[in-house]
Amino acid sequence: MARRYDSKTTIFSPEGRLYQVEYAMEAIGHAGTCLGILANDGIVLAAERRNTNKLLDDVFLSDKIYKIDEDMACCVAGITSDANVLTNELRAIAQRHTLQFGEPIPCEQLIMRLCDIKQAYTQTGGKRPFGVSILYMGWDNRHGYQLYQSDPSGNYSGWKATCIGNSSAAAVSILKQEYKVGETDLHEALLLALKVMSKTLDMTKLNAEKLELATLVRKDGHTEIIVKPCGRGAEADQGARGAGGGGRSFQAGQVHSQYKQA
Amino acid sequence: MKGKNCVAIACDLRFGVQAQTISTDFKRVFELGPHLYIGLPGLATDTQTVLQRLQFRIKMYEMREGRRLKPHTLMAMMQNLLYERRFGPYFVEPVIAGLDPNTKEPYICALDLIGCACEPADFVVSGTCSESLYGMCETTWQEDMEPEDLFECISQSLVNAFDRDALSGWGAVVHIIEQDKVTTRTLKCRQD
Repeated sequence: MARRYDSKTTIFSPEGRLYQVEYAMEAIGHAGTCLGILANDGIVLAAERRNTNKLLDDVFLSDKIYKIDEDMACCVAGITSDANVLTNELRAIAQRHTLQFGEPIPCEQLIMRLCDIKQAYTQTGGKRPFGVSILYMGWDNRHGYQLYQSDPSGNYSGWKATCIGNSSAAAVSILKQEYKVGETDLHEALLLALKVMSKTLDMTKLNAEKLELATLVRKDGHTEIIVKPCGRGAEADQGARGAGGGGRSFQAGQVHSQYKQA
Repeated sequence: MKGKNCVAIACDLRFGVQAQTISTDFKRVFELGPHLYIGLPGLATDTQTVLQRLQFRIKMYEMREGRRLKPHTLMAMMQNLLYERRFGPYFVEPVIAGLDPNTKEPYICALDLIGCACEPADFVVSGTCSESLYGMCETTWQEDMEPEDLFECISQSLVNAFDRDALSGWGAVVHIIEQDKVTTRTLKCRQD
């Protein structure tokens, strides 16, 4: 029944749905999970890394989490090649704003601009939508720490904690119960992220190599974005030890074992 | 100027329109990385614009590549940026000084306003009193100077050259870039 209305993005179905956009979101539902949590003093992004083949060359430390600007980073779920195009565009949008206005782009404006581009692919051009959902974490001097999510339809919303990708519904329901609004600090947010990831991931146990973590904190008037590619040996340990959040040191293995005892 | 495992870059602080001095703290040497500096003497508006456009490109490069820019690559980027405006150029003649992020090799180069670069082994100069600077540097520069001697050399060359030039002066800022630190000193000289 849906067949006649799902081959072109520009056509509504009789029930008022855009099938291509929905199919794009279906594609993302099969992708590696990404989780974001807003804390009082920072933001955490956690991502499930799907490509853990040992033959893979580790040229880039991270394949899910990207730095966009000095004060913003994002985590992608979906078709990787689409994600590369979008993150490139995000970086260019941010730099063009800085060139024109001499200041970093406010988080919401950046996301709004990208979402306008994504929306165009659902209405004109005869091209398919981008099969990527993105979680953004950022800081600006107007609204402080912010967490946003955008999807293939070009819709975006701000969150205190959210999840995209595989098993995202289960993760969101756990977050609803466990996340304490206004009372979570960065260390607790990290623990919560690990807890939710371990409960919703495919694998029976949380392997440090399968997880990517990133934190964003403000220190001394500038933003520190630390992307921790856990499980990649000495670099990961160094990165993990450099975590923010009141000077407490964090190591993936250490936190994981803390959780296990809890 | 190149030294032993270090480089130095210095500029004056005058900003003026021919005879009139508008500002006496106009710096034209900018930091683009921990060990990478560029000097942009010339038309002040182009100094600012070229710097902004360059920072755009450098940001995109460093985020995409996931690593810091090498001095040689900065030169290539500047060449491209300037030649794009071959028939309506930016009136800046940049000077680059830095250490390679991996090998820590000292690097200097100078470009003309449409992107012709040269990478000599000793020193590069640019600005209104460039002829005097060439003369001063030629006599005072020696190979493999330690950072302290390099500071003396570059300071004396710069200050004595621009003291004779009406359009330059009002003090100088000198950066000595070594492997583990960058020392910045402001010199006060003839305030005219």
